[in-house]
Amino acid sequence: MSGPRSRLIGSPEPRRKNRELLRGEGTYVADIRLEGQLHARVVRSPAAHGRLLGVDTSEALGIPGVVAALTAADIDDIRIPIRLPFAESPEANRVLQAPLATDVVRYVGEPVAVVVADDPYAAEDAAEHVLVDIDELEPVLDLAASSESSQPLVHEHFGSNTVNRLAYRYGDAAAVFEQADVVVHRRLRVHRLAAAPMETRGLVADFDPASGVLTVWGGAKVKHFTRGLLSTVLGLEPTDVRVIEVEVGGGFGTRGEPYPEDILVALLAQRLQRPVQWIEDRWEHMVATNHAREQEHDIEMAADRDGRLLGFRVRGWCDHGAYVRTQGLLPAVLPMFHLPGPYQWQAFSMDLDAVLTNRTPVGTYRGPGMTEATFIRERMVDLVAAELQMDPVQLRRRNLIAEESMPFTFMPGPGSGAVMPIMYQGGDFPAAFDELLDAAGYDQLRDWRREARSGGRHAGVGVSAYIEFAAVGPFEDVDIVGDDQGVVIKAAVGSLGQGIETALAQIAAELLDVPLDDVAVEFHDTAELPQGFGAFASRSTVLAGNAIAAAVDEMRAKAAHLLGCAPGEVEFRGGVATGGDRGSVRLAEIGPTRGRFEKEGLTASFGGAVCSVSVDPADGRVRVHRFALAHDVGRAVNPRLLRGQLAGAAAQGIGGALFEELAFDGNGQPLSVTLADYMMPTAAELPDVEVAIIEHGSGSNPLGIKGGGEAGMVGSFGAVANGVADAVGEGAEVLSSSVSPARIWHALNDPSEPAGTGKPAQEA
Amino acid sequence: MTGSGSPHPWLGPDEAAPVALTVNGTALEVRVPPRRTLADALRDAGCTSVRLGCEHGVCGTCTILLDGSAVRSCLMLAVQGQGHHIETVESLAGGDGLGPLQQAFDDNDALQCGFCTPGFLMLIESLMRSEPGAGEERVREVVSSNLCRCTGGGPVVAAAQQALASNRDGR
Repeated sequence: MSGPRSRLIGSPEPRRKNRELLRGEGTYVADIRLEGQLHARVVRSPAAHGRLLGVDTSEALGIPGVVAALTAADIDDIRIPIRLPFAESPEANRVLQAPLATDVVRYVGEPVAVVVADDPYAAEDAAEHVLVDIDELEPVLDLAASSESSQPLVHEHFGSNTVNRLAYRYGDAAAVFEQADVVVHRRLRVHRLAAAPMETRGLVADFDPASGVLTVWGGAKVKHFTRGLLSTVLGLEPTDVRVIEVEVGGGFGTRGEPYPEDILVALLAQRLQRPVQWIEDRWEHMVATNHAREQEHDIEMAADRDGRLLGFRVRGWCDHGAYVRTQGLLPAVLPMFHLPGPYQWQAFSMDLDAVLTNRTPVGTYRGPGMTEATFIRERMVDLVAAELQMDPVQLRRRNLIAEESMPFTFMPGPGSGAVMPIMYQGGDFPAAFDELLDAAGYDQLRDWRREARSGGRHAGVGVSAYIEFAAVGPFEDVDIVGDDQGVVIKAAVGSLGQGIETALAQIAAELLDVPLDDVAVEFHDTAELPQGFGAFASRSTVLAGNAIAAAVDEMRAKAAHLLGCAPGEVEFRGGVATGGDRGSVRLAEIGPTRGRFEKEGLTASFGGAVCSVSVDPADGRVRVHRFALAHDVGRAVNPRLLRGQLAGAAAQGIGGALFEELAFDGNGQPLSVTLADYMMPTAAELPDVEVAIIEHGSGSNPLGIKGGGEAGMVGSFGAVANGVADAVGEGAEVLSSSVSPARIWHALNDPSEPAGTGKPAQEA
Repeated sequence: MTGSGSPHPWLGPDEAAPVALTVNGTALEVRVPPRRTLADALRDAGCTSVRLGCEHGVCGTCTILLDGSAVRSCLMLAVQGQGHHIETVESLAGGDGLGPLQQAFDDNDALQCGFCTPGFLMLIESLMRSEPGAGEERVREVVSSNLCRCTGGGPVVAAAQQALASNRDGR
């Protein structure tokens, strides 16, 4: 075949899978029905903190249809490990979670037993008949006070409620604060959130005693890690464990991490030698699946009177909940890396504590750490601007790191812990910031605000700018297998609804010059895949995409060998490799070829958000009228899908700021356990989101791609909070990432109650 | 506890009752315990496009049409479906293609993970039948009955408007 080469990278190709999903044909884990399948129901702690005196399953076992029940006494002493070496510490490894609680329960929802029956209704009935005897203890709930001596210990043996303190020093912060003309000091809070995908978690496990193979359906995100963990726990060879991803109803960082239930369901299938299905219900999801974001930061920021940001000092407390889970210390590490953001600080000093409380453990949720850090920093920048009586956009523009300063590093100085340097490889932040303002129509928004205010409305415009670190290594392998139908790409990534199979097919089709429809992407079954690390940190397209490029290079070398020419002479055209006048070979003849892309460090990209809001003082309700974001994605593989990701993430962020909150009462009882109390936004509450895609390339990988799946979230809290603060003016201080109606109403009506200095809405 | 053959009208929680439904125009007779939800019964009968997101009537993922009206099948018992006509997303497309409403979803990127999609399709199908002239505001109001975590619902509003408009144009 000849003709112009197809340009597929950068093309807004339609997403694969849509037809099947629109016809209702996708198979999600709850749709799997195996012959003889049993149903598991987890019995969970009703108390936030207490001594577990006994778990009696005898009554439950007497219920018709009940097949088995397990408590901690029935299983080995297992702890679910941290899967990221850079997020581990010896201390964190001492507060890991067991699949079932032993002597102490530490959060409402902690698994204490699991019951299996031949019908899900019977399993649910039986779980109600498991008698759990708990002697309640005082819960630890307050972040900043968690390590005071008056507080009980979440883990007695550990001796402290602070897992680790992370320290990062850059420059001489004390000296910088000496010279400052203006210092603003506040305590800001980030509220607790749930990713809450529409599909709850679920698993089906089946052990075949003849082959000794355990198959688990419902894997996602980190299938190979889960495979390794299950093989260790079950005493099987890794190759005798298959983790299969089926259709995934949203992930957002929480689905697919190995949780207690993954181990329990696999163990039950092995012991009972029957397939076992577990489908989380929504109440369970709200207490059992990783929570996210809750933090408190005591921060001061210094500037001179000309509007130069000089430095900041922050003491922060990052809630990890009752245990450190698979993502280790990331809930504290990620905010630290993202707090400095895109500005040219002379100095800063950060001390962030990873703290334990008696709440559901915390993990990563889309834009983890960076969304929180951006809110903290950007709110403070606005407060500094107000103090200087300067336009917040001018203040930001004046302090953005200039392109000529790239690459830029905030090298950690004396007093820092063992931290990686915060490094930005490149980018033109000021130009990207101007693109954001253009996309948002910033000047028109200011006109709108003036008019709205002259009409007596509380109207505001909020801006935020951020750095997102994404695309973490260490590597990803890809196999390319040519056959008569085209090529199959095998990669251990995961689909979360983001369209990864479409993007990877585009890359392969362009590099090999085959029709897009002739490229199949296989990522479902660990038994069929090369080693990989999975779908997180906006890494899939970057890592697997570049591994495809590496595999194509390897195919070129093989083709050159077959054709007897130099690799540089090989050209891929329409399903064959030609070597000048040496003839051609079909891709299928080249044989299966593996490529690996190794990546060190993280890739930084710049972005920002702008929104216009109004506040109704009668009920405290905030409305977001326009929301625009810009993000430097390096190079957009599929701008259509990317827009969907960025706008969807922004919608989640806006909803998170306006309505959502996982609140707890003073006993550690969760107050948001249904979708009626955890209020996610609908089309009626959300603005249309304008997306400006910036393509500033990336030197960190041959394809020049940066992360894009999460970035729409990152600036959302900062922009919305700054918009609300602008709208309410002197009427109230906005010190929380939550601008829920209750918080805003109280803040407007009770001057002693800044918007969210503290308490959950229900207590305010 | 007595069976359905006894003079006592009450069934035990796990005794099965026969229920005659019409699903997408085809008669379906199921035997279900009286406490089984309609959503579970439909799923057990193979209609897995009826998906469960919350099981208490908030998210709308399990929306089906019951005699043409959108209802949340997690809030109904299967036995309440006796004699009723049920439509699920399988009724929207002929052959192996997409119907016009499904095509509008595809055109407007109104789905990502696809889990909530069948519920939204049935919700809007009901609107198209009962209020073919619905305007943007009404469409947004109806679309906000259900939750979409991936897109936030804005693209669903656009898809619904496109489908309504092409309906009005007689296509």
